[in-house]
Order: sequence, then C-alpha cells, then structure tokens
Amino acid sequence: MEGMIFNIQRFSIHDGPGARTTVFFKGCNLKCKWCHNPESISAKVQIEFNPERCIGCGACFKVCPNCAHYLDENKVHRINRIKCDGCLLCTEICYANALVAVGIQVDSNYLFKSILTDEIYYKNSLGGVTFSGGECMLQIDFLSDILNKCKERGIHTAVDTAGNVPWSYFEKIMDDTDLFLYDVKAADTNRHKQITGIGNDLILQNLRRLSEIGKQIYVRIPFILDYNNDQIEDIAEILKPLNITKVELLPYHKLGNSKYTSLGIKNELLEIQVPRSEMVDRAIEILREKGLNAEKS
Amino acid sequence: MLNTDKVIFSKLYAQRINQLHEDKLTINDVKMKQIGHLDFDDWGFIHYPDFKFEAKPNHPSGIVYGYVAIGEHLRRFFNEIPKYINKNSALAGAWVGPLQNYVKIDIIPEDQPRELFEVWEKYDTKPGFGGMNHCAGDITIGLKLGWEGLLNKIKYYREVNSPANAAFYDGEEQVVLGMKEWIADLAKEARKMAEVETVEAARINLLEIAEVNEWLVNNPPITLKQACQFIAHFQTLDRTYFVGGALDQLDEALRPFYEKDISDGILTDEQAVWYLASMFFNDTHYSQIAGLTPDGSRDMTSRMSFIILDAMHYIHIPINIALRVHDKVNPELLKRSLEYTMEDGTGVDYSCNVGCEEGFVKNGFPLQLARMRAKIGCNWTAIPGREYPLQDVTRCNFGFALYYAIQDLRQGERSMEFLFERFCYHTKVIVDSIKSGYDKHYEVVGRNRPEMVYNLFMHGPVERGLNCSEGGVDILNFNIDGVGLATVADSFAAIQQRIVKEKRITWDELFEVLDNNFEENENIRLMLKNIKRLGSPDSLSENWAVKIRNYFVWCCKYEGTPKHHLPIIPGMFSHGNIGELGLKLPATPNGRKAGEPISHSNEPDPGFALGINTFSPTLKANAVALLQPGYGNSAPLHLDIDADMISKEGGIDALVSLIHTHNQMGGTLINLNCLTKKKLLEAHEDPQKHPDLIVRVTGYSAFFASLSKEYRQQIIDRFLSI
Repeated sequence: MEGMIFNIQRFSIHDGPGARTTVFFKGCNLKCKWCHNPESISAKVQIEFNPERCIGCGACFKVCPNCAHYLDENKVHRINRIKCDGCLLCTEICYANALVAVGIQVDSNYLFKSILTDEIYYKNSLGGVTFSGGECMLQIDFLSDILNKCKERGIHTAVDTAGNVPWSYFEKIMDDTDLFLYDVKAADTNRHKQITGIGNDLILQNLRRLSEIGKQIYVRIPFILDYNNDQIEDIAEILKPLNITKVELLPYHKLGNSKYTSLGIKNELLEIQVPRSEMVDRAIEILREKGLNAEKS
Repeated sequence: MLNTDKVIFSKLYAQRINQLHEDKLTINDVKMKQIGHLDFDDWGFIHYPDFKFEAKPNHPSGIVYGYVAIGEHLRRFFNEIPKYINKNSALAGAWVGPLQNYVKIDIIPEDQPRELFEVWEKYDTKPGFGGMNHCAGDITIGLKLGWEGLLNKIKYYREVNSPANAAFYDGEEQVVLGMKEWIADLAKEARKMAEVETVEAARINLLEIAEVNEWLVNNPPITLKQACQFIAHFQTLDRTYFVGGALDQLDEALRPFYEKDISDGILTDEQAVWYLASMFFNDTHYSQIAGLTPDGSRDMTSRMSFIILDAMHYIHIPINIALRVHDKVNPELLKRSLEYTMEDGTGVDYSCNVGCEEGFVKNGFPLQLARMRAKIGCNWTAIPGREYPLQDVTRCNFGFALYYAIQDLRQGERSMEFLFERFCYHTKVIVDSIKSGYDKHYEVVGRNRPEMVYNLFMHGPVERGLNCSEGGVDILNFNIDGVGLATVADSFAAIQQRIVKEKRITWDELFEVLDNNFEENENIRLMLKNIKRLGSPDSLSENWAVKIRNYFVWCCKYEGTPKHHLPIIPGMFSHGNIGELGLKLPATPNGRKAGEPISHSNEPDPGFALGINTFSPTLKANAVALLQPGYGNSAPLHLDIDADMISKEGGIDALVSLIHTHNQMGGTLINLNCLTKKKLLEAHEDPQKHPDLIVRVTGYSAFFASLSKEYRQQIIDRFLSI
C-alpha cells in the first residue's frame, strides 16, 4: 500500500514521549492560517523554489513543457504556478536543489523499513513513531497499514491529528495506536471556522469519544495572538471533564514563513507577533487552574 | 549510598575558583595577542615571550638526541624557566611551552627512512614514523613513589641490570633531578610571595603551597592536595617534552587520597573541587572517569567522579575529561555531565565501552585488559602504563588513493570494478609504507628521542632499561588512521550513479571537469555532489563506505609490519585538520573542489541529508557506528546539537538514550556540543563577544575565541548543517 508523505524526521522529541521518528503525511482538510508546514496542506506533490540556491544554469527553462519558468521584468527567475502541471521535470534536472519536489509516494514496506532504522533508540528512550501531517488520518488505509506493522513489531505508536474525520476512521486505527496527539485550536465553533475554515463540532465529538474509550491523549493547543489566545479558558472548560494525560501549548513561531515564499503561497499571518513568554505562562496557568497537566512545547 | 550532590561553595572558594576562571581568560587574551590563534585545547601554558634558552646540540646537524643529552636539557630547562604561581590556585607551577621551541630534538639524518619519503610525499601521508607521546603512564606509579622514589628506582635498576651502556638510566635520572630542583624552587618562590602578601587568606595559601612542594621534593603524596600537586608537576613535565597530554583514570587515581582525607577530617568537598580546579587550571591533560572495573563487576563511579565534574563546571574553562559509557554507568553521573554540557559546554566527551573494549579484544587481548584501556587522548585510548599504542600520529588519506586510481583509469578499463581495484592498490601502498615506517620507528626512536617522561610512569621501561617503544612495556600496538572516508565513498557513488547508471556524463567529461577544478561546470559539480550521500538512508555511498572500510581494515590487519611483525590496529580519525589534509588534494568526484577540506574520519559530510529524510543526529550516529574500523581504536562521532531543540523536558533523557544507543551499536567516542545558533554565530562574527564560549572541536575542547577562522568555520559548518 502506498501513501504520500513529505518528511521523515528522526530523533524528534516534540511529538510524544522519548525519541521518536515523526512521519509527516501530505494533505490536510483544515486551512489553519498560522500553519508552519504549508507544504502539508496540499495532497499533491508541490515544487519548492529556493532562489538563493539557483546557479542560473537555465536547465529548468529548457525542460519545462509548459514554459512555467520565466524571468520577470527585473530578470528574476519566477514560476507561473498556474501553468505548472506538476510534471517535476525541472526538479529532476535542478542539481543545485533550487527546485525541489515536496512530497513523495512511498510504499508502506519502505516506510516501515525506514522507521526500523532507529528502533534501538525507541527502546532506549521509551520513544516510538508518530504519524503527523498534514492530517495523517486522511490517508486512513495507508495509516492503518503502517500502524499495524509498527504495532506488531512492538513499537510505541502515536497519531497526531486535528480530528476532523469520521469516527469510523478512528475505529480503524484504535487498536494499533497507543497515543493520540490531538489538536484543539478553538473552543467556539464559529471562531474555529473563522481561523481554520471549518467548525469544530465533529472534532470535539471525536475527542470526547476517544476520552470515553480511555485512549491516552495529549491535547495540543496552538497559541496564536489575535486568533485564539482568548479561547484558552473555554478550551480548558471543554477539556476539564475529559481524560487527558497532558495538554501542550504550542506558541506561534515564524519558522514556517520562508516555506510560504518558496511554495508560492500567500502567507496571511506574516505580520502576526510571536507571543511574549508571560502571555504563554499565563495561558498555561489558566489551563493548570482547571486541573489540567499543562506545559509549553 | 553514593553522594551525588552538587558541591556547595563558601564565599572564599567560590571567589578563588571564579578568579581562576577570570585569570585564564586574561592569560588566554595575552596569548592570543602575542601568538595569534590556537587551534588546540588550552594546554594551560603561560607565554613568556622574552624567555631564552640555549640549546647544546650533540649532532653536527644541530640536533639534540639521545637519553643523556635530552635529559640534561630537560633538567636545565626546568632550572631556568620562570616559576609561575597563581595565588588563587591551590597548586604551583606552569609550563612555558615545549622544549622543542628552543631545542631541535629530532631523529638524526642517518636514522631517517629516506627510502619512504617519496611515497609519503606522493600520497600526502602522515606516516607516524617518529611519533611521540601518544601513550599514557600509570600515574599511580608516581603517586606511590614520588620523585624521590622514582629516582631510587632508577638507581636500583641501574645497579641490578648493570648495562654496558647506562644512557637510559643516566638520562632518566637527569629528568627526575630536574623535577626535584624545580619543585624545590617553586617552594622557595611560594615562601617569597607569602612574605610580601598582605591578604591573610592568600598568604596562608602560599605558605601551604610551599609546604606541599617542600614535601614533594623527597616524599610521595599522601593527601589529595599533594596528589593534585604531583599530577600538576607531571603535566608540566609531560607537556614540556613533546606536548604530552595523557593522564589516566582520574577518579580512581585520586579516590584513595580523597577518602583518606575525608576520613581524617582534613578535607571538605569544596576544597577538593578547588584542588581539582587548580589542577585543570594548570593544564588540560586527557583523563577518564567512570567505566567498568577490569573484572566487569562494577562501575567505577565514585564521589570523586562527581567532584571532577563539578570542578570542570565551576572553573568553566576547556578541560578534557571523558566519561566511559556502558549500560550500567551511574545514570546520575551521565545526566549531570549532560546538564553541564547544555548549560555552558563544560561537560565531558563519551568514550563507548562496546566499540572500544569488545573491539580491542579482537586483537587477541582479554576483555579484562580491554576494560583498562582508558580514553586518555583527544580521540584515543590506551592501557595506562602497560601499552605503547602509538595512535593519532598517522593519516592514510583515502582521497589521494582515489586520485591516483582515477589517473590509472584514464589509461585503462573504465569501470567501477577497475576503479575500485586501483583504489585498493593505492590504499595498500600507503598502508604498507606506514608499516615500513613503523619498523624503522621501532628500531631508532629509542636511541634518538625516547619517551623520557612516560618511561618513568610505565611498568617495565625502568625495570628493563628500555624505551617503551622498543620493548620497555609488554604491549606494543601501532595504529593507522584512515581519513576522508565520506569524500571517497561519495565520489564512488556519484560516479556509479551519474556515469554508470544514469549516463548523465561520460568518464571523459568527468576527467575534464576534475582537471579544470569544475571551472565553468558548476552544474556538473552539483550533479555529482547532490546524490544521496553517506549518512542518507539507502545511499550507494554507504555500500562503498563499507567496502572501503573493509579493505582498509584488511590492509592493516592481514599482517603486521614487514620486518618486525609489529601488530597494527586500524582507526579512523582526522583530528581537526581536515582543511590541511585537503589542501594538496585535487578536485574529487563528490563535487569537492581542489584544496577544500576532506571529510572527517568516517563521518558523513555536513549537509548530507536531503529530500524526505531531514538531518537527525541518529542518521549521523548510525553511519558512524556502522563504519567503525572495529578493533577498539576510535572513529569518533561529532554531534552538534541545537540547545534550543533539547531544552524542553525530556531533552536530557533523549540525549542519554542517544549516547547509550551509539554505544550499543558499537560506536567508540562521542564528542558533543550543545550550542545555540545565535550565540555561535555571534561568537564567529566577533569572537571577543563570547570569550569564554567553550566548544568541543573534535576530541578536545577549546575556547571558541582562541580558534583560527578556519577551525571556527568547521564548527559553524557542522552546526548549521543540522
């Protein structure tokens, strides 16, 4: 079985307990305005263009069947993303790695073999593997297949999800998933729709059902000024009655900004500020006041 | 129950240790202004630019050689050098620079292996012939006997053995007499300083320094302070003679003194830390803490191990201590060392027991002996006092073997098989030439420039009247280090992929771009460079690296040296001098331009990770573990980790697992830096902005500000590629 991923990050210590391998799936059904992995949103292979690496050899101009590469009035190399049909010929010929294909279709056996290279680290650190994205559950059959392989091998498994999928998807992977890293981005459904493009009714419903079953859950809350920083208390109210092991607050950072440029995507949050540490501390305090085991991630 | 608490300081000792730190920065600043950069560890020497010393050559070429002449020079040198005492230190003495800066001590021309010079020049080989000081004494020999006891031992064996030529004993006697005179002079200097000292605490300290040194002239140490002073004097002597830097299993050597003093009620932990900090201020010799006892029954971690860590941390200067990792190593000690590394770079490096000990066993030694082989060099290990290991003095540059293999291909068959065959041929030529050089070394080094210092601290040389390199000790091993593995493995892979498989360029085009150093062919250079390089999963390079490693190891191990059948142990280590090793090497098919640095040891090149497999310390660690030479000598792993990435809860635990895993996978040594990008870049831009930033260059640590721009760039390249 094959699936579309865009990154395998080993020795990750931010996505669950211990040292982990995090596999990033491509494709997401939310459109979070602050997304720091914009390459994860589209389910298709994309072309990333890093002009600082370009040596001006012109090979991409010659090979492109649609003339998507062009020089603007200032003689700067640009890509017409509308003309580009994703044939990837330019990325294959670009030895400078200025043009890079983001996303690759991989076989689950290949992926499993990649995961196994760090198996001994998982054992020594009580870590494992985390499937993230994008929304990894959108490729549920592929996810289920690779989770099953890992579980049979005795590797600890975590699924990082925004939860915006039918409950039946959760049922498919329930037995093979040890931990859910579950994003909660807003308490109010209208606000959720405003900032992610979709309401949160299904998301919260799935979270409650997971909690009832008794699965281990780390809730992760992105903390974005002017978008959801006023939602923390209400989120805490929602989480309070649930069976949540840990709540991780993820303050907004700007590390993903350059990716928007290289993918030719508009970044709506270019001007947004990184929250000050005292604001983050206060948010964590609010969560703890509600009895939640909260920490900054 | 072992006390693992951090030591708490009173104002007096906190001030003294802090002042030692400040003094070190000041001394370093003066050295930098007078000498320029220092691409090595601190070494602790005090620079006296006006000091002069007269050499008295005993060979027409102007060379000083042989036991007696060198012994006499050493004795006179120690009588004439300035007597340095820092009143914030518990200990007296400092060295002023190597004797060789003033005296040409060398192997006389008639004993040189001239027949080998041509091949060494051709392949830019560092042959190891004439290598000095890469062995280690058993410091407990000195701690038990003291200088007077060493003198009596020399006299005793000279009389018992009655050799026809007593030069060995006469020369060694000069060295010990020189030390006794130097120590007596230091005692006098301390008393003189005390007479004019107005601060009572400092005056008392100076008087105590005088008493300690007066005692050590004729007696072995019996307290921890005396033991530390004895070791400081050993360090001073050792550094002066060919910049020796090997110490011993330090926690075990000092533990009996610590325990006795504590039991006698004459020592506190803060005093113990101060003595150790003073010893580290004196010099940065290499030593080890923790590890298994020879029988493997227990971990050697003691209170002394924690005191050593605290001394390193609180004085906050470059110090070279390794922690021997094994599955049962004290977890608190391991975590404490990582905590200090993350805090300010004052932690240890990690010597791995699986690769070092189980590897060494493959040479035919029992595991009990292998466990005694401590990490007491920047990268290397030795059995202190019992082994002449001569490591870290050779470089078999794989890059040149490849260069000549490519030249052969122009006239011969153009295939991967033929290229590899020629590469193997040239590699064997290099290895065989180093072996022949070692035969000559074995024959002549003792009579030319013997190990005047280590002979005193080893089991056998004095008893037999023989230099340790020629049978003074029972165990002789000779190391050959291969360097540039990734440069060559990536080159083979690039040729295989781009020429043979994809046919994107031809062999002739390859020859042409290499001849032209890729001028006007940047696209082809990048095509060759940006393949899946060594370290990336599923790379062709990895297969080539394994083949090359296997052949190199076979060359070293299939037989000993041709004449005397001396045993060879392969290693892969290049120190920090990958720039120097690449300087003469023309362009290589991995996209490296002529003169650029080669790759380090058996490590992947910085920036190797591409595509979906982004960089991770485990990718690098896995490659280094896989490609170990496998006979106990090191091929180190350099890990430069962004401190911001691991500062959250669980970060130290993750590093603990990384260290244990690399050990279990057969790694030999881990050199770890935890730095922040911001601080490192600031220090690179303006080194004086962070004068006390400590980094681990390879097996040694140094002030970042002291390094040359090239060495600083090496650290930056490694760090930014993560």
